[in-house]
Amino acid sequence: MIKLINKLLYAFLTIFVALTAIFFVIRLSPGDPVETVLGQKATQAEIVKLKAQLGLDLPLFSQYRHYLIALTKGDLGKTIFGAEDVKRLLEERMKPTIILATISVSLSAVLGMFLGLMAGVRKNKIFDKISRLISLFALSFPIFSLAPLLVLFFSIKLNLFPVSEWGSLKHIFLPILTLVIPLSAVIMRVTRNKFLEEVNSPWVVITRSKGLGEAAILLRILKVCLPTILNVVAIQLSVVIAGTMITESIFDIPGMGSLLFDGIQNRDYPIVQGVIIYSTITYMIIYFLIDYINEKIDPRTQS
Amino acid sequence: MRKKITNEMKLGSGILSLYGVWAFAWFIYRYLIMGTITRPYTPELNMKMELALPLSNGLFLGSDLLGRSLLEVLSAGLTYSLTISLIVTIATASIGILMGYMAIKAPSWFKLIFDLLINLVFIFPSILIAIMIMAVTGQSMKGLIFALIITGWPGYAKIARGESKRVLALSYVEGARAIGVGEVRLFFRIIVPAIIPVMIVNMVLGISGVIISEAALGFLGLGASPYSWGAMLGAAKTVLLEAPHIAMILSLTMAGLIIGLNLLGDGLRDFLDPKEN
Repeated sequence: MIKLINKLLYAFLTIFVALTAIFFVIRLSPGDPVETVLGQKATQAEIVKLKAQLGLDLPLFSQYRHYLIALTKGDLGKTIFGAEDVKRLLEERMKPTIILATISVSLSAVLGMFLGLMAGVRKNKIFDKISRLISLFALSFPIFSLAPLLVLFFSIKLNLFPVSEWGSLKHIFLPILTLVIPLSAVIMRVTRNKFLEEVNSPWVVITRSKGLGEAAILLRILKVCLPTILNVVAIQLSVVIAGTMITESIFDIPGMGSLLFDGIQNRDYPIVQGVIIYSTITYMIIYFLIDYINEKIDPRTQS
Repeated sequence: MRKKITNEMKLGSGILSLYGVWAFAWFIYRYLIMGTITRPYTPELNMKMELALPLSNGLFLGSDLLGRSLLEVLSAGLTYSLTISLIVTIATASIGILMGYMAIKAPSWFKLIFDLLINLVFIFPSILIAIMIMAVTGQSMKGLIFALIITGWPGYAKIARGESKRVLALSYVEGARAIGVGEVRLFFRIIVPAIIPVMIVNMVLGISGVIISEAALGFLGLGASPYSWGAMLGAAKTVLLEAPHIAMILSLTMAGLIIGLNLLGDGLRDFLDPKEN
């Protein structure tokens, strides 16, 4: 119980520090949203007026205080460009990102674990060697160089899938493929190595000598390997989110990534803060989940 | 038992030395043949030859969007990428070793801040942190290197902490303490040499990480040089229909370098791994 409270406190502290850091960093960075929104012809009086309207003329700390007070009420503010409600905007833009990330992570987990086990069972056979070679290649093409190649092959040469936009199943294929290739390669490698570590341990030998079938033994080994794999997924998560954002910008998908990049470009403070809060909270939830699952699978991690 | 050098390592170092020779040749070409030390040569713009195909107009790999020879632009990108990644990797590894060691030795408040800092950097997508830093410092080489160092050191610090913990428990460290070796001398003469092999493996793998991060930033339009491979790929993406060869050549060149680094890193790791024996 105390451990749980500690963890929660730690999570809140992390969210708070992230929030504070982004609040000050983006305000201290050069560039003024008000001047951008009004254009170059704006007079000094207009600029001052709009700044007062948005509350940007106050000293930094009282802006920060106002922001925190609004935040406790669940109010994330309005965007500087277009005065939309940030919370609504975020909820709308989160869908594509969440769909992309969830599908690609689950697909890569299944694919990576399956291939990793196959490679581990056939250690140093042809399958193992070829799959290791392919995973090396998959890891060596960063997302932004993989995506143009996939577009070139599938959209331009074969004319199978549309190049960009978002909406139907056809649109989702290439972005997912872009994300799944490197991630499943990582998971495959980890699974293979962890499997080879476990496969010769005494408990496996005993279960085998007791006459348990190979398939059942494999399942048990997989269960032992699962915490390690999940931890790798957790570490890869920030890579996945960053990758999703890059993928979104390549395929013109209206998700969190494009929202954040536009927000930073325009210095639209409330948007950037909102995206950071939402993504930090998402991380925290996923870390908790992974911790919880790991404890359920392997009670040793509890101590 | 002595372990033999694996094929992986041979292939990896072979690929890397090819890239090394390429970078060196470009260096000579740039400073000694076509330009001088004070006035280095830069790839020429030639709007008449934009998007030329490979092996046409006397250009080996064709030309890019601005009519520059693709081979020259690629070479400039290679030296730029290698310079940045080497500087960043050496700096991050040094900071990582120092911070990781201090996290064991220092008082508990330092450990708490250390943990919080590391977690923050780990949780945040490094690209976001880099974008934030670049937003403050502006798009310059200094800003880029700073951003990559900030996002890079926690990885090394974590490894260095684990390794130092292991080494500090060994009896010869205790022996050194017993004969009165001072803290500073202990760190530089005993701890650092003991953890450096593991750090080097991670540095080799880390270089490819830095190359990718730098290119990702360049791709998003946050690079510090027009010769960043990422920036070039971003430009190549817009002319994918007209000149697909640019994106292909760029991707393959970059992947080749990363494959070389990964092969060497993996090989070195197996080579140094005590478990295999």
